[in-house]
Amino acid sequence: MDQFNYAAEQLGFWGNLARFYQSGVFVYGTTLLILYALLALLSFLAIRAYMRKNDFVHYENMLGSPLTPGISVLAPAYNEGLSIIQNVRSLLTLNYPRFEIVLINDGSTDNSLGQMIAEFELVLVDYAYTVKIRSQRIRGVYKSRNPAYSRLLVIDKVNGKSKADATNAGINVASYDYFVCTDVDCILDKDTLLKLIKPVIEEPKKRVIATGATLRAANSCDIEEGVVTRMRPPKSLLPRFQEVEYIRAFILGKMGWSYLNCVPNVSGGLGLFDKEIAIKAGGYDAQSFGEDMELMTRMCRFAYDNHVAYAIRYIPETLCWTEVPSTVKIFMRQRTRWARGLAQLMFAHRGMMFNPRYGKFGWIVMPYNFFFELIAPLVELTGIIYYLVQICRGTINTDYALILLCFVYLYSVMITTISILWDQMVLRSYKTTKEVMLLCLTPFLEFLLYHPINVLFSIRGYYYFLTGKKHSWGNMQRRGFGNKPVAKNVAV
Amino acid sequence: MWQDFNSYLLEYPSLDAAIYYFINLPLVIQIACVFIVIAFLATLFAYGSILVRRFKGGRRDRRMSVIIPRIDTLLTEHIILNEGLSENIPIDQIQLPLEEFRIPLLRSRFGKQMLIDRIVSYKKSFTGSIGALLRQLYLELELDKVSFKKMKSPKWNRKVQGMIELTDMDMSISDVNILPLTNSKNRELRAEARNAYIKLSKNEPFKFFDIVTEPLLMWDQIELFKTITTTEEISIPNFARWVTYSSNKSIVSFCLKLIVHYNQQDAAPAVMRLLENKDHVLRANAINCLGKLRYEEAEDKLVSIYSNQPLNCQIEILKALGRIDTGGHVLFLRQEFLHSSDFDIRKNAAKSLIKTTGVSQDLIRELIDTGTAENKLILKHCMNPLIKF
Repeated sequence: MDQFNYAAEQLGFWGNLARFYQSGVFVYGTTLLILYALLALLSFLAIRAYMRKNDFVHYENMLGSPLTPGISVLAPAYNEGLSIIQNVRSLLTLNYPRFEIVLINDGSTDNSLGQMIAEFELVLVDYAYTVKIRSQRIRGVYKSRNPAYSRLLVIDKVNGKSKADATNAGINVASYDYFVCTDVDCILDKDTLLKLIKPVIEEPKKRVIATGATLRAANSCDIEEGVVTRMRPPKSLLPRFQEVEYIRAFILGKMGWSYLNCVPNVSGGLGLFDKEIAIKAGGYDAQSFGEDMELMTRMCRFAYDNHVAYAIRYIPETLCWTEVPSTVKIFMRQRTRWARGLAQLMFAHRGMMFNPRYGKFGWIVMPYNFFFELIAPLVELTGIIYYLVQICRGTINTDYALILLCFVYLYSVMITTISILWDQMVLRSYKTTKEVMLLCLTPFLEFLLYHPINVLFSIRGYYYFLTGKKHSWGNMQRRGFGNKPVAKNVAV
Repeated sequence: MWQDFNSYLLEYPSLDAAIYYFINLPLVIQIACVFIVIAFLATLFAYGSILVRRFKGGRRDRRMSVIIPRIDTLLTEHIILNEGLSENIPIDQIQLPLEEFRIPLLRSRFGKQMLIDRIVSYKKSFTGSIGALLRQLYLELELDKVSFKKMKSPKWNRKVQGMIELTDMDMSISDVNILPLTNSKNRELRAEARNAYIKLSKNEPFKFFDIVTEPLLMWDQIELFKTITTTEEISIPNFARWVTYSSNKSIVSFCLKLIVHYNQQDAAPAVMRLLENKDHVLRANAINCLGKLRYEEAEDKLVSIYSNQPLNCQIEILKALGRIDTGGHVLFLRQEFLHSSDFDIRKNAAKSLIKTTGVSQDLIRELIDTGTAENKLILKHCMNPLIKF
């Protein structure tokens, strides 16, 4: 003890602080690396179990059965006039016996509604519904006179300045016990509904409150008539980084968490939810910047508070393709928004952290989100600054520093490559080996180019959260799926 | 004291220098070095696995693209277009050219499996004499032995695969072999065994309903429902038996759905007794069943128990009254529509009122004219043929 005190005195305040910081970062980094290794293992087990089971699944049994549960597909749209008809047609062709498409026209200022009225022979109907979740006023509900479009229900509402508000309006009029939330410009696999409902109806002991599936970048895929006919990794570097990130996040991350029933979030791009629990939990928060994760957290909170033994499941198959940002500017806005949403969420639900009342969610999900999602960018940024200071002071051991850098670099490449391998286990997604190998090379640059900008954008999001800066709804210059540039206002 | 790698190189040959350098590194850096090697090798291994998987997958696709058209040609030529079928020769007397199917391409394990898969697939598409001839081919090629062998495998997935093949080919499996599997702890195996049992047991296909201890999940029910309702020559029992005696709630619930599907009117009294059950979900299912059976004798009872029921049962009662449609409880429906504070109750009462054939248009018009704005909207909603729910 005396020796320790002596050493501490010798180092002085700053020296001790530096030592404490180094030890902290070491423990933090080691824990994170162990967690990733664990997730890789758990996701492998989850995927293997899924694949084995899936060999004998006859989805066609559900198609003609009167016992199949109904699903409402909620698709909010704002100024999607250039592609709305094609997108709705694509949704109407989903392969499922009992479903409805609830398209929510969120006060579009273009001619989206007019186009739909003309194309789908819509008429205004007296539609009775009760407001279970608050949303902006619904101006009118439309149904088609043509029986071919009987599954389509179009809501015209006052713009609520968020996808959350539009989805809440959709939940209020949804007829079935489960709803799938998606974006109208997402491309869904034909069997999406069959595959998403299965974990719900095959769960023996728990109530499955949400199911998610893998999302991918649609940027370079071949798309015909609203169907992805050939998957390709994005040609541009930024979307390709995102493709790799999605594979890692969904295949390795969420599948691993799913194995422990600790899924922190079901993506807003595609997710199936238990309507009753979603309503009782209060629906989407229109003020949140991360409304999907926020809803999931509240649903879990509700389940714990009301002693509902719940489960959230993920499936490793890619069921949804979405166009990811292809410019740094749009990407920055998206990630800033996500980071701000995470900060909001952690602040709003801080009481759940390490709270025994919330079981795994309080002990695993919330601490993980806090330590390894929320503060990770801060740790990284301070680490880099500390590193640079030490270099300037000449106190860096170059050999050791290089070894450690090499270790972290190779470890991150390994984790991402493993997630690509797991993805290939599920399905040989890309046609040629060359395309997969191209994807495998991406992690080598991801660490050096993509990750640092992600850190900066996250910190920007936290800054906006702390200062309460107003976030505007961005105009995303989408390239569209028919090779025509399409300008759309979307939440980025 | 730490020395850089170059200083070791001055003293030792390169390999020794590396070893001495490593030994003298701090523990943390040593661990990092080990993990560098592990990460590097693991990444290489992942690349290798991806390449091997893709290569194997590609080879499999290529083999399938050769084998499947060949099998299809053989099956078309010798089974579907078999001359014996058009001449009405009994199936067991038709001589099948087995040698044509014993070509080297189909002798390997992979080839045999492809052949089984195709025969099973064709069998699903063809019934009657073609289906019987496909079964004959399956037997004469002794492919049933391959399937039975799978059933003896300790691996559950092989067992399931064998069972599916045998079931689809209408092969009989002894009760002794299947019945224990209907309660297996493995969900997939259990579900498939139940399907197989219903399909293959000619005497008592529903015997396992008596011994089922595990709940029938909704997914299992969907599969069983399909099997029960599509299997030919199955003797359908009166499901009231399980509604009355089974202690497994999921079996009771499933039987209620089957009672509706087969319109078993004589099961209605047994279903009525479920109205006293303590489980409100089961009660709601029973009410739903009575409504769909249009069991008129249930109406008074349903109205009498209405006020003591939870919301889900009350809604089912309102729906049932609309389905049974005797017009005997119009006043009750009207009262619920006008005075209930719950939106869903009012909506379902309105729907049933409109459905009831005895209700005059005058009453509906009166309700529209005198109702609140919301009630008017509900009525218009329910009257609109474009709106289903």
